[in-house]
Amino acid sequence: MWYRVGSKNEQPGITGASHWVEHMLFEGSPRYRKGEIDRAVLRVGGGLNAFTDTDFTAYFTTVPRDHLSVPLDFEADRMTRAAITDEEVARERTVIHSEREGNENWPEFRVEEELFQLAFRVHPYRWDALGRRRDIEQMTAEQLREYYRRFYGPKNAVLVVAGGFDARRTEAEVRRRFSKLPPWGEDVEVHDVEPAPQGERRSTLTGPGTTPYLQIGWRSPALTDPSTPATMILDTILGGESRVFSAGIGWRGRHEHPTARLYRALVEKGLAVRATSGWSPRFYPSLFTVQAQAARGVSLDRLERALESVIDRLARQGPTAREMSDVRTRIRRGAALAYEGATSVGFRIGYFSTLRSLVLEDQLYRRLLHVSAKGVQDQARSLFRPEARVVVRYEPTREAGDE
Amino acid sequence: MSRAVDPLRIEYGDEVDGLTIVRQPSPAGAASFSATYVGPAGWGFDPTGEAGTARVVNQLLSSGAGPYDRMALARRLDRAGATLSTECAPESGEVTLWGPAADWEELLALLADVVLRPRLAPDDLVRVRRQLLERQMRELSQPASRADRELFRVTYPETHPYRSSGLGDPRSIARITPGRLLAFHRSHYTSGGAVLVVTAPAPLSAVERAARASFSGFAEDRGPSLRFPRVRPGTARTLPVELKGRSQVEIRIGGDSIARSDPGYPAAFLANEILGGRAQLSRLFRRVREKGGLVYHASSELEAMRFGGYWAVGAGTGPEHWEKVVSLLSKELERMERTDVSASELREIRESAIGELPLALESTADAHELAVEVAYHRLPGDYLSRWPALLRAVRPREVREAAERAMDRRHAVTVLAGPIAVSPR
Repeated sequence: MWYRVGSKNEQPGITGASHWVEHMLFEGSPRYRKGEIDRAVLRVGGGLNAFTDTDFTAYFTTVPRDHLSVPLDFEADRMTRAAITDEEVARERTVIHSEREGNENWPEFRVEEELFQLAFRVHPYRWDALGRRRDIEQMTAEQLREYYRRFYGPKNAVLVVAGGFDARRTEAEVRRRFSKLPPWGEDVEVHDVEPAPQGERRSTLTGPGTTPYLQIGWRSPALTDPSTPATMILDTILGGESRVFSAGIGWRGRHEHPTARLYRALVEKGLAVRATSGWSPRFYPSLFTVQAQAARGVSLDRLERALESVIDRLARQGPTAREMSDVRTRIRRGAALAYEGATSVGFRIGYFSTLRSLVLEDQLYRRLLHVSAKGVQDQARSLFRPEARVVVRYEPTREAGDE
Repeated sequence: MSRAVDPLRIEYGDEVDGLTIVRQPSPAGAASFSATYVGPAGWGFDPTGEAGTARVVNQLLSSGAGPYDRMALARRLDRAGATLSTECAPESGEVTLWGPAADWEELLALLADVVLRPRLAPDDLVRVRRQLLERQMRELSQPASRADRELFRVTYPETHPYRSSGLGDPRSIARITPGRLLAFHRSHYTSGGAVLVVTAPAPLSAVERAARASFSGFAEDRGPSLRFPRVRPGTARTLPVELKGRSQVEIRIGGDSIARSDPGYPAAFLANEILGGRAQLSRLFRRVREKGGLVYHASSELEAMRFGGYWAVGAGTGPEHWEKVVSLLSKELERMERTDVSASELREIRESAIGELPLALESTADAHELAVEVAYHRLPGDYLSRWPALLRAVRPREVREAAERAMDRRHAVTVLAGPIAVSPR
């Protein structure tokens, strides 16, 4: 069950509400008391979980086909009638706090959070889906209930059923459970528009860690923008991943991509131990990022200059014919293998249907295969503008116990 | 399901120069194939003073092999739509190639190049050494990896294969030369003591033929053996590792455990699932997270390997809660050992474990993982099919006894790594 509700629908004071509601939807509803949803699925050998993104929240369940009625039952039950009690909210607060603390132990999390906070001043992409620490501490149960009442309902939901089943019978089962639900769900569009960046923004964080780390971001187009295929190819050429979407699962990939430009320029030359790019197409303009972890003894200034030079070269000269041919081959061959099994297929359909429509996926594949080298170069020039740059550096400090 | 197309049944073929060949049918409708070589090349085999060698060799396998240098190999894989991954563990080194089923024979030959004829080039050694040094620092700096590291360091004596994480230290990494890498590869990526598992839409005879064509010519047909110094159980003890500036304390409680071949493994497996292995159904999740609201993650693992094993309970919590969490984890461990699990709880956990088997056959990658486990442990070809019956035969008393033996809390080590506010008593 996918909801078009994510951290984009929050505001300061209740950041992290979508993620918190995600936790609460496992805490009970009229027919399923606390813990019973988990039990109903796991005891038949199934699996379930959920995740919250900026643009959506996805609750996914895989069960043997004979038990399809179980997730249909509880998804209908908790869509508008989840029990978000004061007591459970209080108890879950420490769990969510702990989840955030676990992430804070990683410099990469802290840097990325800072990067988006620096890049966005108006748009809700400026906070992480986990929410700000202070809001997790202070949000009330009533604020959560209000958030749930406003946004959760059939109007903002996409139900995906994938696998081996009788389509007609299943549709009847779905209608029986969902057609009588109140047609709730306020508008989830975000009307705040982030002004165009007028100059570079940068920040330096310090804390425990190993070697210096750096992440640079540039404002990038929304998923539906015509330039999306070219941006995807830029991501593949720079970082090596050939993913079409990142809805919790990606395409199978090596941990390292020796053919990627960042790897060749930074890791092979001894400047970094890891280097890659990252772009998750989102509903609204977001950030295209590159990041690198310095090799021992390499300064952040040197690392940043090297990263910039890779970006400049790509914008000046564009990709080579060989790179374009390799990328197209990978996209074509990868697409054939990317989705094995009902769970993967369900993710794919859910992602595209929630953000736009399944048609978009077909369009993207077709356009990906027809983008020219010149098109990629033009996109690099338009994307990697100095005034749109956001830089966050991480300088590790040596703490007790680091040895 | 007939024997020929049931991915729960694997088939052992004729050996190729001592290499065990295993075939698993592809799951229905799968478009991909997967092949894995697992050999006696884990970090337990690291030469004295050269800790890190096994990991370096394992990582370098994907850096060029046979006619391909590193870039050419990467391009070859990209063009095939294939993925090569390597993994190093205490007892074994593993290489897996995943790609389009239609090209399985061609890709199997590529896997043979990677296993038998890696380049192990000096330039690549320099790069991997750099990466390993950073990982060493990360292991010390991150509360989770630090807690794991200390748990094994305290549990196992010097020279025990499970004592380290195989990353070595700056000095041991500096000692590794290209010549030492070649020697390690020659004596540990062998045919003897190794298995090749292929999940493909092809009969066993075709897999045997393809394996014979590609996988002959190992330098050694006898695998090395590991030395296991005796683990003397000490009294339960706590090791605090203060790491300032972090947000969360990582807790581990654990110790030595049984091997996969132990006849009590099914009962021990269930004991672990009940305690913390079966996600939201497990006692640790329900008591420490769901009821206590104290942690985001609380789980347990039982890593039963070929020659031995270890167990560990793990949780992460804020610095103000760690004492309470340790107390709850300890109470649940004690309950496992002192009280028989109820018939209903045992049934729920057992049926959950049995029910997930068919779902693991959704994709080639998941089915293949099961086959590799069966083959590596030299279990019978129909083991996965018999697994439900093995679990259903376990009685509550056996679960308690298995918990006592395989997750022995009386000799457990407790490690706390992170911003510990108060010295533990």
